[in-house]
Amino acid sequence: MSDIQSQLRARAAELLSSGEVVQVIGWMDGRFENQTTPAFIDRPEDAELLVFNEYCVNTTPKYTLYEKEHGKLAVCVRGCDSRGINRMIKDNQILRDQLYLIGLPCSGVKDRKTGELLIKCQNCNHRNPVVYDELLGDAVEEPQVNRYDVVERFEAMERDKRAQYFESTFNRCIRCYACREVCPVCTCRSCFVDQVNVGWQGKQNNLAENKFYNLTRVFHIGDRCVECGECERACPMNLPLMAFNRKMVKDLDDLFAAGEAGLDAEGTHSLGTYDVNDVEEFM
Amino acid sequence: MLLAKDRLNELLDHLSTEARVYVPARIETQTRFALYSDTVKPNFKLVNTELPPKDILFPQTQNMYRYGFDAEGVPFIDPIHDADDVVIFGARSCDVRSIECMDDVFLTKGYVDEFYEPRRSRLLLVAMACNTVAESCFCDSMSLDPNSAPAADIQMSEGDQAFEVTALNEKGEAALAAWSSYLTEGSIEHAAVSCELKVEMTGIKEKLDHMFEHPIWESVSKKCLNCGTCTFVCPTCHCFDISQENRMKIGERFRSWDSCMFSCYTEMAGHHNPRAEKMPRVRQRFLHKLCFFEDRYGKSLCVGCGRCVADCPVALDITVLIDQIGAAELTEGAVHDA
Ligand code: SF4
Ligand code: SF4
Ligand code: SF4
Ligand code: SF4
Repeated sequence: MSDIQSQLRARAAELLSSGEVVQVIGWMDGRFENQTTPAFIDRPEDAELLVFNEYCVNTTPKYTLYEKEHGKLAVCVRGCDSRGINRMIKDNQILRDQLYLIGLPCSGVKDRKTGELLIKCQNCNHRNPVVYDELLGDAVEEPQVNRYDVVERFEAMERDKRAQYFESTFNRCIRCYACREVCPVCTCRSCFVDQVNVGWQGKQNNLAENKFYNLTRVFHIGDRCVECGECERACPMNLPLMAFNRKMVKDLDDLFAAGEAGLDAEGTHSLGTYDVNDVEEFM
Repeated sequence: MLLAKDRLNELLDHLSTEARVYVPARIETQTRFALYSDTVKPNFKLVNTELPPKDILFPQTQNMYRYGFDAEGVPFIDPIHDADDVVIFGARSCDVRSIECMDDVFLTKGYVDEFYEPRRSRLLLVAMACNTVAESCFCDSMSLDPNSAPAADIQMSEGDQAFEVTALNEKGEAALAAWSSYLTEGSIEHAAVSCELKVEMTGIKEKLDHMFEHPIWESVSKKCLNCGTCTFVCPTCHCFDISQENRMKIGERFRSWDSCMFSCYTEMAGHHNPRAEKMPRVRQRFLHKLCFFEDRYGKSLCVGCGRCVADCPVALDITVLIDQIGAAELTEGAVHDA
């Protein structure tokens, strides 16, 4: 990886000096050992700060939303990041030509304390970026994991147990909305949560409101969830958010052959398309 | 006095008959102060719990009063004051200081919060000296001592076989008198700990007084997501919002934690938002912690517990920021009084 890191620094410096981009979004070291933090590099001499290693836990796409006003951005993208970018393009959040994508094949990132592969990476079948302007390093082999494992586990639970699983999960939510804020798909200008005058979402922290928040988010990201797992990683309460997201993804795939989101930036998506042949299981 | 470790649960069982007793424990995926019970036992190996004991005194959602029309159509307003006797058993120095900060806000300067005060006055606060520190602990840079918490009612420290318990005030003395059948004479040698993570706080506040317009805020806020994690896990963040829920002829007013990191925190009628971007929100949080609170109450609103350091999903680290403030130059144009 360190070889790729030096290429990354060199390319970032070139892109900034030539004026092709105004900023490079990637990662730099944090204060602690094996910790990184998102980096926003806008001077060629600072390109030396960029790192790329197995502790780059953050995903990059969401930042394009805030930074695009400064000009063209170079963004470091692995598989998960690139799918987020595609999805943001498809959602009209950003234009492809506002971005220069530096593709980085990935071997998964680790928890800095345990050294274990993050859960999001254990369930990833797209380690190579699916869209990029240049690729640093060689493509890696794609794993073939059953990412629905966690869904199958809770589907198999007895009804009471399953209800308990939902309840104990949502009881612990503190409604910090970190899951929404990191999500490349949560880009509504006014989230239902924040429409206080309409009053969709009560401000109480209790099971009913927590469930309402979490399940509405699941339905709302629905077929657009790129399964980057960043919400689950960000959650300070360590809630198994991807279990619910993947249930949605799986159902949509079963019902509408929806496939995986964010593999390209074109085409339609199942919940946004009406087809007379759609299944109507519940009608 | 000493409390033998094998008598700890007996004491807690006894206390639980008279009060709600909260102890540090792991509850599924988190560590927090949880109600002591047959299944929830204290775990003092946790340095500080991921969630602070803040919600015991200042719940995330607190009902304030009920209102409406009764069966005869007569309007009523019923205040809700639901305080019990509570024991927080095993708070670290940082959490004890955080309660001092909340006391400042809710009980001083001519204002007594009628929902906080009854809980606070019925609280017995038992501190536990730290035997180890976490990598993110930096309390001793924030003028605290992990080995002692003078504002608690009782100070404990942990030895191999027993805890030493010392009353720090009258309330503590009365409690120890009531616990006497569980205690024996003696003392233990507490090996003092200090934090590995250090920040230099000298001059930070004075510098911040002139840094309201400094470019540092733009750069530090770039990575912030404006989630509420740092404020909700912080033991001292105390902002709240008041809302109500109406059902037919009855309604309830409640307050709930709010976060200066949220856009609706400052949103006004007509959607005007004086802090519409991330930068002023991030600036507000850190200036409140390190500057404004100091102005008003003479202490820092950051107690160095390191929770936001550990939990921020993008590693926006207040200790790094303090270093950056220390190193920042006050250039012409960037200097503006806060
Ligand atoms: S990040 Fe976790 S705790 Fe925060 S709102 Fe989302 S689910 Fe709840
Ligand atoms: S500093 Fe970190 S925890 Fe706080 S709002 Fe920003 S991203 Fe969230
Ligand atoms: S600002 Fe962070 S370190 Fe300081 S008291 Fe709050 S959570 Fe703890
Ligand atoms: S911040 Fe200080 S008092 Fe709090 S747990 Fe860490 S060492 Fe102990």
